Amino acid sequence: MSFLPFAHALVARQDLPVPAWLFAWGASIVLIVSFFALSVAWRKPRFEEARWRPLGAGFARGLVSLPMQVLCGLVGVFLLGVAIYSGLRGTEAPDRNFALTFLYVTAWLGFPFFSALLGDVFRPFNPWRAVGRVAGTGFRAIAGQRPAHLSYPEKLGRWPAAIGLIAVVWLEVVYGSSGGVAVGLDPHAAATAALVYSGYTLAMMALFGTEVWCARGEVFSVYFGMFSQLGCFGVEDGRLGYRRPLAAAAHWATLPGSAAVVIASIATTSFDGAQEGAFKDAIESTFNWFADRGVDLTTSLRLTDTIFMLLCFAGIGLVYLLGVRGMRTIRGAPSLATLRIGFAHTLIPIALAYLVAHYFSLFVFQEQAQFTYLLSDPLGTAHTDLFGTASGGIDFRLISATTIWYVQVGALVVGHVLGLTLAHDRALVYWPNYREASRSQYWMLAVMVAFTCFGLYLLSVSNG
Amino acid sequence: MKNSTKAAFACLAALAIAVGLAACGGSSDETNEATATGGVTRPADSPESASMGGKVPTIVIRNGEPVGGVKQLEYDAGDEIRFEVKSDVAEEVHVHGYDLMQDVPAGGTVSFDFPAEIEGIFEAELEGRKEQIAEITVNP
Repeated sequence: MSFLPFAHALVARQDLPVPAWLFAWGASIVLIVSFFALSVAWRKPRFEEARWRPLGAGFARGLVSLPMQVLCGLVGVFLLGVAIYSGLRGTEAPDRNFALTFLYVTAWLGFPFFSALLGDVFRPFNPWRAVGRVAGTGFRAIAGQRPAHLSYPEKLGRWPAAIGLIAVVWLEVVYGSSGGVAVGLDPHAAATAALVYSGYTLAMMALFGTEVWCARGEVFSVYFGMFSQLGCFGVEDGRLGYRRPLAAAAHWATLPGSAAVVIASIATTSFDGAQEGAFKDAIESTFNWFADRGVDLTTSLRLTDTIFMLLCFAGIGLVYLLGVRGMRTIRGAPSLATLRIGFAHTLIPIALAYLVAHYFSLFVFQEQAQFTYLLSDPLGTAHTDLFGTASGGIDFRLISATTIWYVQVGALVVGHVLGLTLAHDRALVYWPNYREASRSQYWMLAVMVAFTCFGLYLLSVSNG
Repeated sequence: MKNSTKAAFACLAALAIAVGLAACGGSSDETNEATATGGVTRPADSPESASMGGKVPTIVIRNGEPVGGVKQLEYDAGDEIRFEVKSDVAEEVHVHGYDLMQDVPAGGTVSFDFPAEIEGIFEAELEGRKEQIAEITVNP
């Protein structure tokens, strides 16, 4: 049986598999650079302190001022509203409707990319946070006291966000791909999901408090916020400042479940990359197994994909835990729990690298649609032309296949080296003796090399 | 450096070289294959290769589905992409990425002939049924 369809609703063009020679070069460079990164004299931790310095200029103050916060919040609420409205009232053609591209490409991929460079750019635009803050202020004005929130069960930590993250990707690449009949998630379903998610989020904010929920359970705040830890701008005490890139990540994973968030990110991206390549045969045979037992085709496919997505999560989690477990063998090692939390942030650059490697081309191509016909004709009616760009389209010649290959392999190599650097830096905290720290990192090196080779392998067989 | 550290580094270096060699060694056959199929002439034993000979590949549609499954067509950038679709149902054939559409009447045939100027993998489908009929690969 070979009618498993494209998983994505939006993909008109798929990337070519990375050729074997580039794969070999990528893998070799990773190993050699890793080797030198460890052997050079990096004997003191450098990323434990972010060295945040406030930016004094009026421009920097203006960026985080209250009127700006109100404006950004309004923009966020407005854009979410446009996406939901387009999804519910617009065309069912996924590629002609504003909703899918905006939610799953512009926001879902755009925020991680820009957050990793700049800092938390999502926070001011977060529509649910904006509504939650207005509601909180309103409550105080009317009731004359702060709303009495439940205390959040701290054991849960970021687990709700990790599960939510899997659910968001599941909706697109598992629920959306429906057994050889339709192609991908339809805009109605995406808009409905966005409405349901909004209701759930606002309820949770009312229960536990806006900022508490944003830091722990709100999927998008936690997920984009994770990447923003790599960025070089941060807000402290209401002031915008510059900080050492990557350094804020060092203290990100202190809440329980943080490792699950970053592993969920790597796992879902891996699954999406593997389902039409590396896992294709296994998925097809599992799918047939269900189908032969009388399960209808759509359910069979969704069940199969769900199983494989969860297997990815378990597998990647296991590799990480093995690496952490290995470090316990070095004399003077802290507890397993400390190590598990202590090295979670070193996977953030890997998660970003996987995102860039798998979605860079989709982002570049689909954003052309976003800013041409989807902007001018969000409902896809073919009768609207708000900004005169409705007749625009995607120029697939904008970047060549070879450029895409180099970006993919380059992202994996750079991401891996950054992850390794963060891990080495953290090891120096636990093992002040530089030699012991280095030795503990052979385990992390094995983990990182495994992730990179797995990533490269996925790209080299991106199509079955 | 202590001896144990040196030994560990030596092991790592050996591992790096071994994996590097293995990767290169493993890839050399594939690279040869790639040049063989990537060139202008193609081996006769790849029946799915589209630019083989002068014959234009035909995708036959029966009951709205491609006979023999989704047709794999492979080209190099700059080639002419030529194929025909013979259908027993009236449909619209859509080549994604290149965004080309042609109607085919029931029992009729349409031919496509366009330069392979966008690299990547594209699907051709029957637009009304959302049925994929071909996967077109354009290598750089």
